[in-house]
Amino acid sequence: MEQQILDLTAQLEELKAGATVTNTMFAETFYYLTIPLMLIIHAGFLAYEMGASRLKNVLSSGVKNILAFAFMIPTFYFFGWWIYFGFPTGIPGEPGPAGISGIEYANSIAWAWGDSAQYMGPNIADQISGVFFGAFAMFAATTASIMSGAVIERIQTVGFIILAVVLGSFAWVVAAAWGWHADGWLVTQWGVHDFGAAGLVHAVAGFFALGVLINLGPRIGKFNADGTANHIPGHNLPLTVVGLMLIIVGFFGFLMACVVPPGEAWSWFADKPATIYGTPITLSALAFNILMAIAGGIIGAWLFTRDPFWMMSGALAGIISTASGLDIYYPALAFLIAMSAGLILKPCADWLENRGIDDAVGAVTVHGTIGLYGVVMLGIWGAGFPALQGAVGDVPTISLIGQIVGAVVFFLLGFVPGYVVSFILNMFGMLRVREGAELAGMDLVKVPAAGYPEWGGDAPVTPAHPAE
Amino acid sequence: MFPYDEASWSVVDGAMFMGWGTALPGITTFLAMVACVLVLVIGQRSESAKAKKFDK
Repeated sequence: MEQQILDLTAQLEELKAGATVTNTMFAETFYYLTIPLMLIIHAGFLAYEMGASRLKNVLSSGVKNILAFAFMIPTFYFFGWWIYFGFPTGIPGEPGPAGISGIEYANSIAWAWGDSAQYMGPNIADQISGVFFGAFAMFAATTASIMSGAVIERIQTVGFIILAVVLGSFAWVVAAAWGWHADGWLVTQWGVHDFGAAGLVHAVAGFFALGVLINLGPRIGKFNADGTANHIPGHNLPLTVVGLMLIIVGFFGFLMACVVPPGEAWSWFADKPATIYGTPITLSALAFNILMAIAGGIIGAWLFTRDPFWMMSGALAGIISTASGLDIYYPALAFLIAMSAGLILKPCADWLENRGIDDAVGAVTVHGTIGLYGVVMLGIWGAGFPALQGAVGDVPTISLIGQIVGAVVFFLLGFVPGYVVSFILNMFGMLRVREGAELAGMDLVKVPAAGYPEWGGDAPVTPAHPAE
Repeated sequence: MFPYDEASWSVVDGAMFMGWGTALPGITTFLAMVACVLVLVIGQRSESAKAKKFDK
């Protein structure tokens, strides 16, 4: 009898160990899969902005986008990850109440030398840091891609990469530390809630792009002498539309990465998934609300434009306008908010264009304006929800004032660095390509290859038969 | 709009969306349905009007 109890106890321990391994593997795989899914966003942005470029600029637009991605990863590794953990409470980087922030904490887990280097590379005792890092690095790369489309066809490559690094490995990371962290001062003091990063990713990147566009200026031929705008069509609208659809596919990974799975040492709950703030969420909420938001955005944009470019941009706007509260919106409400975003999208883009801003793909409007719209909308509809875990009175609640404060901070964190850094680059002649190069086409200047080598009157003719 | 009397996540044991327990879900669902129909009506009218311009 005693032996049987011992055997059963041993079997129970084995089963518990097996369950623990299964849960750990699931939690790590959950995040790991968000990385390739988010990479699809970049495939989408690549197709989107190459399609939106004229034939003479198609490859240089692609090179710029690909290179930005490549620089984003190491710079986020060098210092972006450290900034996220170092400054949630603001400057000078004091530790916060949740105990997962501050310079000292960041130095212990996110610095790639000294003792903390153990968490910045392969480590059998730490199987999650790299997966978290990968997901966050993809957010960083997304911000750079958002800016990338707006500035096509006239920006210098190195100047653009410097801007991308400032945006992706600094500006949005500060916004994330302040408003997307349980110790972030925007969360603990103002109850800011931005679950799907409408403000801290999209608005920051969109308004960073606006700051750059002001110094960069419009493409030659975009505006007439009387200030009226000309439409500069891209060379391949179907490619752009498919690119937009790919971005939307990738967004499922983006938003999946905003969810913390249960049951691990780093999880908020033992039995249910949580947002990054430690509040409960379900994947079901995401499925309901993302799909309804995509649909609402498309329908709203179709009503005004009938244009597939704006319809797919409307889908993006639908997701972005509801992203802050995808965890708590009711699907029909998400649909209506997304539809309203689709409706205002084109008028907002036109308003910007009428003020002399040449945003080649509408990134400032889709990501910037709609991002802030989404942050404020949650303040209207979600007021009273607790912004963190804890008992009533102990934690801040979502409020309209708090969301407006968050929106202002996100706007400034995007616009100010974008304007200042591009202003400095312009002073040193590193922002815009020379006029002759812009007229000739940037592919001729920057890329030793042709996008469509058999296209055009002077193109070499491919032999129909082998040479005799 | 928090659907529980106490503004704390610890008391949440079911639906946790805005307006749960009020008329809001029904109203927004109805409005969303109306919006879909309206968009189709407007779309049909404007597309027909445009197509007529190509009649010979």
